[in-house]
Amino acid sequence: MQVFLVLAPVFLFLIVMLAVGFIIQKQSEKDRAVNFSKDYFIGGRSLGGFVLAMTLVATYSSGSSFVGGPGVAWLRGFGWVYLAMTQVLAAFLVMGVMGKKMAVISRKIDAVTVIDVIRVRYQSNVLANIGAVLIVAFFCGTMVAQFISGANLFAAAAGINYTLGLFIFAAVVVAFTSVGGFKAVAITDTICAIFMLVGLGVLTSAILTQGGGMSAIMATLKTQPQMLEPTSGGTIPVRLLISFWMLSGVCTLGLPQSLVRNMSYKNSRSLHQAMIYGTIVVGAMMLGMHFIGVLSRGVLSALPEGGTTDSVMPHLIVTCLSPVMAGIAIIAPLAAAISTVSSLLIAASSSIIKDVYQHSVEQSGAPVNQKTVAKFSVIATAIIGLACIVVALKPPSIIVWINMFAFGGLQTAFFWTFLLGFFWKKANTAGAFLSMVGGVFAYCYSMWAKIPLAGFHQIVVGIGLGLVLFIIGSLIGKPNDEKILKLFFPETYPEGAKIEIPERI
Amino acid sequence: MAKMSYREKFIQMNKEAKATWVVAIILIAFWWIAGFGTAGMDYTLFQMPGWFVLSCFGIWILSIVLVWFLTSKVFQDFSLEDDDTTGKE
Repeated sequence: MQVFLVLAPVFLFLIVMLAVGFIIQKQSEKDRAVNFSKDYFIGGRSLGGFVLAMTLVATYSSGSSFVGGPGVAWLRGFGWVYLAMTQVLAAFLVMGVMGKKMAVISRKIDAVTVIDVIRVRYQSNVLANIGAVLIVAFFCGTMVAQFISGANLFAAAAGINYTLGLFIFAAVVVAFTSVGGFKAVAITDTICAIFMLVGLGVLTSAILTQGGGMSAIMATLKTQPQMLEPTSGGTIPVRLLISFWMLSGVCTLGLPQSLVRNMSYKNSRSLHQAMIYGTIVVGAMMLGMHFIGVLSRGVLSALPEGGTTDSVMPHLIVTCLSPVMAGIAIIAPLAAAISTVSSLLIAASSSIIKDVYQHSVEQSGAPVNQKTVAKFSVIATAIIGLACIVVALKPPSIIVWINMFAFGGLQTAFFWTFLLGFFWKKANTAGAFLSMVGGVFAYCYSMWAKIPLAGFHQIVVGIGLGLVLFIIGSLIGKPNDEKILKLFFPETYPEGAKIEIPERI
Repeated sequence: MAKMSYREKFIQMNKEAKATWVVAIILIAFWWIAGFGTAGMDYTLFQMPGWFVLSCFGIWILSIVLVWFLTSKVFQDFSLEDDDTTGKE
């Protein structure tokens, strides 16, 4: 009975996710017959402000925002909340700086993926293909990691074994994403974000009650004075904080899963609203979840037996809440994982189908058959998803590495490529190539070889070297075609200058 | 909704991007000053360490206010569609 009460809300939630996928598929039939990719990979540029904000934030917030981070906050105290607040930029920066230019240009050149934009801006198939490969590799690594943590949570809550947990949980995500496409991802992300906020509320009130109120909890915390300091007794050095302002603050602008959303919204008003909603929600989630982590120290004084800081949140959910409430609260971290995986899955599939397959068909001069693209896209999405499930069954150690490289690696690859490509006229193919290849290599190598950087995170190397290489390449290499520059920098030409759409390469 | 040429849109978008960076810099500065800047002072707010409440709840509220300001005062409403006829044959 206990288990059933916990599981009922979770299963209901998974069924809703599936239903959204199939309903969207039904509704989109007409649009998909005309231009399949535009509907399936970018939702036909129809998102309103609320959904845009929620899908961006839900995709950004992964299982680690709901399990890993709060667990560390339980250990380190208020200093870890302080560090987590660097993420306050994650919603508005990418939309405010890149949002409109990407929307205007992607409409002009009919782009539906971030790689489409790179291909046109830098006129290079080599660069586009490297970008597509990096996206697929890093996204798949992240998906496997999210599957593992989601399945662990689900299995623990349901009292079933890991393998069964993985199949149920992951199969639902793969199913609704492959049939529903981007629009289903955006809608389910929105539902996920709402459940993440509900879980946050339920947990906060439960922990405050269980801990005997704020004063009792604070009295417990005062016995661990380092938990009240911003550096947590020196365990969170200032250099780490500077690194986090890059990794989870400024450089989130370069995450392709965020950038692609800039091409998916309806009009400028949607973007303005999304910037406000997104900032409210990302701040609430990061502040709320990590704050709960600290407060839970008043309820749980030592790690559960045999557990790590990752076991803190699941343990609290099971011990502090009634079965039904536990079922509702456990949805929050599951929703965080689901919303991240679904977005990465549809984007990885777009890289393979739109950026590689469809592009090669167009290149050969053959007409693009919408029905064939449709069939291949759905199959590709399902296959990538299923492959990640199989890998998650018995993850090889390489996956751990790829997942570790993924977040900063994606930023290193795309931060300068997009920022400078849109705002620096001299940015050219040689610069972008050197920066993407050299930066990602340096980032991954320094991480793998554990090169000590005096307390800084490796992102400083990736982004720093990426910038230097970009500038060198751009100054040495030849500038991009005048046609391209007129399209991306019309403000540097007289009013009325002729804007041509560059030929497809 | 403002009617703009393709070129005018880019001038406006550059302005919006710059203003967004300014907001980001203000937030980062606020975070350091409110956090490390006041951590030495021994004060509490709502029973919690003062530096924590001021910096963490503060940056959240400040970010909402500043982004509201951005989108309502700096950002302009214009068509994203390719409806610009200037320069077309």
